Amino acid sequence: MGNQGRILAIGPTDNTSDQRTPRQRLRLIPEEARSSFVPVVPARYATTPHEWDMTRTAPDRPRADGVPIEVTGRVRTASGRPVAGALLEVWSANHYGRYRHIEDHSGLQLDENHLGLGRVLTDDEGCYRFWAISPGAYLARPDIGRWRPKHIHMSLSGGSSRLITQMYFPGEPNNATDPMAILMGDAFERNIGRPREVGTADVVQAFDFDIVVGGRNATFFE
Amino acid sequence: MTDPASNLLPATNEDTCGPYFPIFFADPGLEDLTKFDPGVVGQAAGTSLVLRGRVLDRHGELANGVVMEFWQANANGVYRTPATEGHADIDPWFHGYGRLRSATGAYEFRTILPGAAEGRAPNITITIFSDGINRVVTQMFFDNQPGNEADPLLLAVGDDAPKLIARHDGRTSSGAEVYVFDIVMAGDGETPFFDDLES
Ligand SMILES: [Fe+2]
Repeated sequence: MGNQGRILAIGPTDNTSDQRTPRQRLRLIPEEARSSFVPVVPARYATTPHEWDMTRTAPDRPRADGVPIEVTGRVRTASGRPVAGALLEVWSANHYGRYRHIEDHSGLQLDENHLGLGRVLTDDEGCYRFWAISPGAYLARPDIGRWRPKHIHMSLSGGSSRLITQMYFPGEPNNATDPMAILMGDAFERNIGRPREVGTADVVQAFDFDIVVGGRNATFFE
Repeated sequence: MTDPASNLLPATNEDTCGPYFPIFFADPGLEDLTKFDPGVVGQAAGTSLVLRGRVLDRHGELANGVVMEFWQANANGVYRTPATEGHADIDPWFHGYGRLRSATGAYEFRTILPGAAEGRAPNITITIFSDGINRVVTQMFFDNQPGNEADPLLLAVGDDAPKLIARHDGRTSSGAEVYVFDIVMAGDGETPFFDDLES
């Protein structure tokens, strides 16, 4: 364990990161206060039965434009315990790189068959599965021509495990210039979905994305 | 001796939640912890309060699109965790975890005044997610609470302690005490944030 807190790095070419990243070194938490920094998310959440299939807005609607993919994975803590019964909230852009979010003013093309929002629960082994449309990359900084590579946002909440992350795609040209990927360095590789054999005719590509929730919080009540 | 760290799986990197955390995922039951769920008879014990404030960036501008999570003890000072399951002082109508997304960066969260946990002053742990940053955490206290002067976390931050103390607004709103707490993400007046990986 380190004897001083981290200094957070700022994502290069990321204006928001410059505006919002704390400049002071993070403070260490005294031992007497440590347990109070371990939120426990109550398992009160629910999902609707069709939310695992983000390739359409509802079961009676057609497929959205683009390449349908399956994403599966297992969620564990760093000590290897499956994070069972956790909520995975997923959001992603459509084939054209547009979010169906009221604050996305990019003007990119909307798709009336794409919502890009889904919630699934992990099973007893910590495994999850969802379908999505392979998201489009989008131009995040038109002024300097910097793109965000294709990615799927994921938020995991289960007991004292809490993680917000993104799954990236292998071999994408914009991976190397992404500010957050740059900060991850060699560890960026862990955030890339691993292509695997497609097991169903309903999707065109399939990826495994195992998630490991790090830090003491995730394992606090083990 | 073997290094226990070597047995650990490499963690997935945290990443920014970006600007578009879905409003669709909002849960009204997590934005007001005084009530249990709409239409259900069930009320958290304790003094109702409204916590209001702004999340500000390095230029003093509101940090739009922030996701805030709250974690606190019940009115008896007991956290609802696996370790306190069956504890006599658990409030069945209070779990202590809140979450909201603010479009503008100004927020309002309804909860109850937490009791003092052993050796601590009443406090609320706040986690912030936003575009441009990964998860950051801090802890908020209440002005004029007995125990503030001896709280180990407030003592640890020294002269910065006032930046962690919410002030009573001097009024009530629908019977709830109003407290104000601004969070400065970076720069002048920066709020102290804590490292739960290295601590
Ligand atoms: Fe995104």
